[in-house]
Amino acid sequence: MSSLILKRSFNRSLLLSQNPCTETLLVPSLFSSLSELQVKSLHSSGLRNFPSLDQNYKFLLSGFSSFLLKTVERPSRSHFRVSKRYLSSRWRERYRVLTSRICALQRNNSAFSSVLPSSVTLPCESNKDQLHSRRFRMFSTKAAVELSTSHGLTVDRIVANNWTILDESESDWKSHAAAISQSIQVIKKRLQWKKLKLRLDLLSAELNKPDLWGDPVHAGKISREHGSLMAKMKQVTAFEQELLEHIDMIKLAREEDDTELESESLNALLRMRRNSKEKELQALLAGEQDSCSCYMEVQAGAGGTESMDWAKMVMQMYKLWAQRQGYKVTVVDEMPGEIAGIKRATIKVDGEYAFGYAKAEVGVHRLVRISPFDSAKRRHTSFAAVAVIPILGDGSTHVQINESDLRIERFRAGGAGGQHVNTTESAVRIVHIPTGITATCQNERSQHMNKASAMAVLQSRLDRLEMARQAQMNAQHTHSLTEISWGNQIRTYVLHPYRMVKDLRTNYEVSDPDTVLGGAIDGFILSYLSASVDKDEDYQ
Amino acid sequence: MKLSSSACSIARIPSLFASLCRPICSTSLSLSPSSLKPTTPLFLRPPTFSTSLSELNKWHHWAKNLASSVGSSFVHLDNGPDSTLLCRELRWLLEDSLEDHSLISQLGSQNYHMDVRLRASLDELYVLWRQRIEERRPFQYIVGCEHWRDLVLSVQEGVLIPRPETELIVDLVKDVVLDSRELKEGLWADLGTGSGAIAIGIGRILWSQGRVIATDLSPVAVAVATYNVLRYDLKDMIEVRKGSWFEPLKDVEGKLAGVVSNPPYIPSDDISRLQAEVGQHEPRLALDGGVSGMDDLLHLSNGAVSMLKPGGFFVFETNGEKQCQFLVDYMENNNPGKFCNVNIVSDFAGIQRFVTGFINDKCH
Ligand SMILES: C[S@@+](CC[C@H](N)C(=O)[O-])C[C@H]1O[C@@H](n2cnc3c(N)ncnc32)[C@H](O)[C@@H]1O
Repeated sequence: MSSLILKRSFNRSLLLSQNPCTETLLVPSLFSSLSELQVKSLHSSGLRNFPSLDQNYKFLLSGFSSFLLKTVERPSRSHFRVSKRYLSSRWRERYRVLTSRICALQRNNSAFSSVLPSSVTLPCESNKDQLHSRRFRMFSTKAAVELSTSHGLTVDRIVANNWTILDESESDWKSHAAAISQSIQVIKKRLQWKKLKLRLDLLSAELNKPDLWGDPVHAGKISREHGSLMAKMKQVTAFEQELLEHIDMIKLAREEDDTELESESLNALLRMRRNSKEKELQALLAGEQDSCSCYMEVQAGAGGTESMDWAKMVMQMYKLWAQRQGYKVTVVDEMPGEIAGIKRATIKVDGEYAFGYAKAEVGVHRLVRISPFDSAKRRHTSFAAVAVIPILGDGSTHVQINESDLRIERFRAGGAGGQHVNTTESAVRIVHIPTGITATCQNERSQHMNKASAMAVLQSRLDRLEMARQAQMNAQHTHSLTEISWGNQIRTYVLHPYRMVKDLRTNYEVSDPDTVLGGAIDGFILSYLSASVDKDEDYQ
Repeated sequence: MKLSSSACSIARIPSLFASLCRPICSTSLSLSPSSLKPTTPLFLRPPTFSTSLSELNKWHHWAKNLASSVGSSFVHLDNGPDSTLLCRELRWLLEDSLEDHSLISQLGSQNYHMDVRLRASLDELYVLWRQRIEERRPFQYIVGCEHWRDLVLSVQEGVLIPRPETELIVDLVKDVVLDSRELKEGLWADLGTGSGAIAIGIGRILWSQGRVIATDLSPVAVAVATYNVLRYDLKDMIEVRKGSWFEPLKDVEGKLAGVVSNPPYIPSDDISRLQAEVGQHEPRLALDGGVSGMDDLLHLSNGAVSMLKPGGFFVFETNGEKQCQFLVDYMENNNPGKFCNVNIVSDFAGIQRFVTGFINDKCH
């Protein structure tokens, strides 16, 4: 019983604690290192770069070992089965002390998936000064261990149990747990969990190479990707772990008849359940560039003024959408049609996840209506193509552009120029000679700024080209951008003879084109994103 | 051809008065140069006027129609702006006049009674836009500023509106300054600084020890340049001096690390055929370069020899290929061996626009 009490106090501190310790992740291989021998072998492999931390590490291990010894007394599938003879009184004492201090220590085989490497942080309270600041990292590559409750419940088993999911207002832990577990499965699927783990293994192996930093650019790239994948994985694992802990707590509370604890835990589950839908959504935007700002480009198809008018409507739809999202919209380049509409235009959409959402719009948009430009009032079909380019952040590697590869031209320049001419037109076009890619900007008020904007567009176009090239080379990242061809129709907008907007990829359909053209395209975006991410694929 | 340049600047002083005497500047004429107070650009004025969105809408509608009525008639007349360009200027005028830019996208919406805060009265906006279209008053004088490089410079009648081509002078300086500490920390001169554009552009790329002296003969230019220098908080780095070309620089003879200038270079005979915005509104003193247009360029290139220190750098803007070639020849023939790495650089329209070079450090 004393162990239960210890456990409980530990869990409470976990529930209540908001300090960084709760995020602590433990190196799983530590758990298997119950003998000094194993510790040594670990030392000699993973930790050779951190000699100064050895002492700290040993202390930690000894604490854990004892802790584990305690927990494995309970029947479990743990492969960390250890004989009781290790359980000396000295260890018991340690256990008591440590569990009360270590904030986020997992019970059972607790199992931090080994791909999670990581930083081990030590006790928060009394040993803070010496220990809290000491962290060390290593990158482990061992296979993951499934998280479970003390009774062996896992997320998958919970889902398999098919517990009825009741309304949120029903205080039924099983219902909450089932709903949350389902979400976790969706999230994992969306993150391509299995692939993610493989990729992390690969990156970890890479990071552990002693000569890694010989090529700092490569090393930086690897460690950045590792960091960002890790963060994604950590989030989900922490969420999963939290769920299992609350379930444990509820069982414990029942055993002990502690109604206060039970309702506390139940509430925590409810909060998690409410949170989980948002997390599902976030998981849709887990792509490497999803969080970037972007450029959106619209180009009118064949068909003259009618198509140019349509292109303008599409562009307007995106401007309004972006504004509703709270993004900052700037027109970079706009080529007006002779009579109405636009031939082509580029806007910059600034804000978090702009690219992640906007990428769902790439392709050809088709309009059917009675043309206001046709005096005979006939029905016309027009097309507009949409392209979306991510603006890579400062952290990512950009294509290096050589000044000498550029030709910069003044747009619509005529006459003698210089002092002869007063004009507010200072547009420039930049041509990247080796690729023939060009970029134009005419909406800034100085030539210098037009040039800077055009350069930024050019940079993104070249980055995209490079990404597409790498995607082809690298089978791991087959998320290549579909180049738009006029055959690639994604959505139809019908204004006549009936009214409807239908996405041809998802069959998502709305009967009010006006609101859609007014920027209400979230439904289309989300349904497309979920359809493209939630492929029927084994996620584990 | 080889007129004495001092004679020629004296000869042109009357044109300074001519330009100042135009009604629009008459108030500044009565003031002494030191107390000349530059006008504040529209976008910096306080938003003390208000109107309703529907009134603003009415104005906008009117202004747009006026702009559209121009079509391409100005283009045919004297290569002036077409209505597309004028419509863009109209949007910028709105941007500069409105306290809240987001209103621009709401023009034409239903929210008619909404109060709108303006930096100029609606009546003034009517007057200004009429001046733009009917008198061809340059847009930059209307809003009192010119966006140039990453700067927003105050401009007004009596001061040349800096040209996009001239931005490149700063880039050329940037290139040479990049790999020379001496140039980066040296003393530079911008002769005929006008609004102060080049001087400020250079002041922002030099290291903190670097200095720029900006000179101009026009009191309005001196006042406006001083104002712009203050606005960019560069008064410790840039000194504005009044006087003709090198005259106010006697104390730094032979000490300059760099000399840049965009002097008047339009041949006198061409002035009458200039685009209305230029010929009828910008100061003749800033444009007229004498019969061939090269009076000031030749004077400056001669002066550069004694003013620059060995290894010093210069950039001059010219009227195009003919003047560039002539200047290069002139430098080689008139001061043989004094210059080195003399180069012609084209602008983004592909017109040979600048002559650059160094003072040979061996011949001193
Ligand atoms: C073409 S503007 C250039 C203005 C400015 N540097 C720019 O690029 O925008 C020529 C300038 O030279 C000035 N200027 C004309 N004659 C001058 C002289 N004799 N001495 C000094 N400045 C003179 C004019 O007042 C005018 O500001």
